[in-house]
Amino acid sequence: MSLSLNRRAFGRLALGAGVLAPYGFSRSAQAQIKKGDELTVGIWGGAQERITREFCARPLEEKYGVKINFVLGGTVERRARAYAERGRPSFDVLYLNIFESRQAVKDGVTQAPTDAVPNYANLYPSARLGGYGVAYNPVTIVYDRRKVSSPITSWKDLWRDELRGKLIWPSYPGAEGTAALLMAAKIWGGSEKDIEPAFRKLAELKPFAAFQSSQDQLFTMFDQEVGAASIEFGSFTRSYAERRNPNIVIADPAEGQVIALNAACITVGTKNQKLAEEWVNLHLSPACQQRYAEEIYYSPTVRNVELPPELSAKLILGDEAVHKLVDFDWDTVIANQSRWSSRFAREIAG
Amino acid sequence: MAPAAPAIPYLLWLAAAFAAPLATVLLLALQEGGDVFTPLSLSPSAAQFTEILGDGYYRRVMADTLLMAAGVTLAAALLGYPLALWLVRLPPRWRPLGFACILVPLLTNVVVRSLGIILLLAPGGIVSGVAQALGFGRVNLLFGWFAVGLSLLQVFLPYMVLALYDVLEGRDRRLAEAAAGLGAGPALQFLRVTLPLSLGGLRAGLVVTFLMASTAYVSATLVGGKKVQVSGMVVLKEGLELLNHPLAAAMAVLMLAASVLATLAIGKAVGFFTPWLAQRPPRAPRRLPPPLPPHLRAPLVALAEAAGPWLGRLLLGLALALLLFPLLLVVVASVNDTPQATVAGFQGFTWRWYAMIFEDTRYLADAWTSLQLALAAALIALALALPASFALARGRWRGQEQLGALMLLPLALPGIAIGLGMLRLLQWFNALPPFLGILAVHVVLIAPFMLAMLRASVAGLDRAQEEAAGGLGAAPWRVLWRITLPQLAPAIAVAGLLGFLLSFGEVTVTAFLTTARMQTLPVRIYAEASFSLQNTVNAVSTLIILVTVALLLLINRVMPLDRAWRR
Repeated sequence: MSLSLNRRAFGRLALGAGVLAPYGFSRSAQAQIKKGDELTVGIWGGAQERITREFCARPLEEKYGVKINFVLGGTVERRARAYAERGRPSFDVLYLNIFESRQAVKDGVTQAPTDAVPNYANLYPSARLGGYGVAYNPVTIVYDRRKVSSPITSWKDLWRDELRGKLIWPSYPGAEGTAALLMAAKIWGGSEKDIEPAFRKLAELKPFAAFQSSQDQLFTMFDQEVGAASIEFGSFTRSYAERRNPNIVIADPAEGQVIALNAACITVGTKNQKLAEEWVNLHLSPACQQRYAEEIYYSPTVRNVELPPELSAKLILGDEAVHKLVDFDWDTVIANQSRWSSRFAREIAG
Repeated sequence: MAPAAPAIPYLLWLAAAFAAPLATVLLLALQEGGDVFTPLSLSPSAAQFTEILGDGYYRRVMADTLLMAAGVTLAAALLGYPLALWLVRLPPRWRPLGFACILVPLLTNVVVRSLGIILLLAPGGIVSGVAQALGFGRVNLLFGWFAVGLSLLQVFLPYMVLALYDVLEGRDRRLAEAAAGLGAGPALQFLRVTLPLSLGGLRAGLVVTFLMASTAYVSATLVGGKKVQVSGMVVLKEGLELLNHPLAAAMAVLMLAASVLATLAIGKAVGFFTPWLAQRPPRAPRRLPPPLPPHLRAPLVALAEAAGPWLGRLLLGLALALLLFPLLLVVVASVNDTPQATVAGFQGFTWRWYAMIFEDTRYLADAWTSLQLALAAALIALALALPASFALARGRWRGQEQLGALMLLPLALPGIAIGLGMLRLLQWFNALPPFLGILAVHVVLIAPFMLAMLRASVAGLDRAQEEAAGGLGAAPWRVLWRITLPQLAPAIAVAGLLGFLLSFGEVTVTAFLTTARMQTLPVRIYAEASFSLQNTVNAVSTLIILVTVALLLLINRVMPLDRAWRR
């Protein structure tokens, strides 16, 4: 069991070092970028791969003669793999969501962000926790305007009688399901520390029309008029509404939209620290952020992006708007995930 | 030579590439608890099993899953027979196309297929529309066991048909003629001659379908709307989302145990109805139930003869519609000008999804990787499974059934659990050349299918011909080459094709093993779907279907899919 002690000790050490000395141990003291170096990036496919290839991979390959390897996949496998390889990662950079990235930093799997990435200086404060936030992607109510008597303006509107049996709830755990559960607690007098009201009020909403576990699945349900409203990322739902289903409205409830973000995380133990930081810096560059906004309505996490007005209207921009996003104590959320998931499966779904 | 000797290469491969992940899963299941970083303890604890079995929720999920798998399996058998008989009756020239029809669901992406089921069953969908036209009102069959069962039936039906195909193709048609000469109509011919003679194939079909249906979870997630919860989803959620590996592993082990029991039970049941295959005198003479008195029997027979052919045609029509529906969807969607893959509404014609595939060389590079991998995996698995099937089908020896069940273990362990086991072994796995590592795992994943199918065909071989050749002085290898293999050719072709397609499409386990050094096409598509599915996936599916048709036509030239000398 000596191996195990070493691994455990290593984790703690890495954790401590991460907190105490951002430039010391966890940020491995790697020499300059050399021609022929290879950077391995774990990311989603589709638009995400296309944009980062254009704005991050190609410039680095041209500038340094390095090679960028993409490992495409879903968050679930990527994260499970990064945890399995803690300390000897095969990824240099990987992308996670808001609470996964914070947990990964706590668990010593990925590094906390530092100003070794120049664009770090432009990040909003909420994008500086658990990796480098690269896109705000807030969660809100989305609904079919034909199925409601008046526009939805509050999270409490989900409890309207006319929506009974017509809600498509996001399954928990998952970014949208987490946001939905936390918001339900908040508006009904609870919080992440007092989740009881959420489960009580959710049970009142039964029966649900369905549960959705991905945006594609939700869009198909909207196509088929399976339900009237759901809780989803506003960003990509907007593309869907504009290009495929004009009846879908992205609500902006009075209580606010729930913060969600994608984070670029540099692994603890990477052998390409400098190159990884350059990668992240390019992802945070105004040009890349703008392309994300134009193509899939992801809101920038840096302050120095200028966007055309009609695009800005569809995004979360500026300190005030970002600050208005509803935030939670994610450590509490992570700590309770297993318990809540078990309750959700038993009391709400099924 | 020991009767089990031909199975040794197969077993060695399992020992090399499957024993380690299986052992890891078993060890994980015996942990008391702890997070992902807690080192594995060697002192076993039953804590996880106690937790699962003591929890009514988990018990219900497991029972529901097994019931649904049983239902899907029976439905697959019911639809599989008309389809397989149809395939056997097709003229040889048309048979490759018949095969292509059967294989459509295996060639289309699971997400697209599920979208099809949603389109079919949604309140505004096709079935509901028909019901409304008939005056039944709007029906919503979506997000329930029916929808999940139907989507599983769609994708597992091909396996059942392929398992039945070769035994039905190889059956002696004179027997049916003799039955007809003695006055049996089509229904009785089927029930008393064709069905009993094809039970070996049915066994393979039942086992494969049941094992796959009881471990599947993707379709259940997509068309069950989370209202349907199956064991595989528990493994996925606990193991990967909540990182509770021990509980996930314990669940997987329980599923494995249930699958092994089901395999043995199916084997026993089929063995009971096929005493002639035992090749030894029964211990006690079988007591047959007394026949029905003629005045009861005659109307029953008349009813069966009257309704049977119509029922057969109806089931065949339903089965073909179910299999071919996704084809329509993907072909239409592949030229649909919408930003996200959808099956609802045609917005305009475009070639751009095809253009994207050919412009972005990465699709082609990944497809090339997948092709090499699938070819190599299918050939190796065939070389292992063919001798092993002789060991299982020839002679009777102690432990044969148990060994047969052991060899199907990779099928019984949920793919996601194999992935979980591999995660713990990544350090060692990464030391292997990437192609070799993934190849080793793919062979493990596909060989059991091929074994199950070949076993039935080997059992159906006419040994008298081999003995005759031997008696005329042919050396054993010559008997094998000139007599045995030609008779097995259709079975080998079908099993090889299935293995190839399985490996070509595998994503559950491969997603864990993908590295910068090697990526397959299905993993690329899965990664796209994890963000948002584009119609490129439908263009890819359409191309794969076309390539498969070409491949089938080619196979049919080189190695006929039927027994050509019988034409």
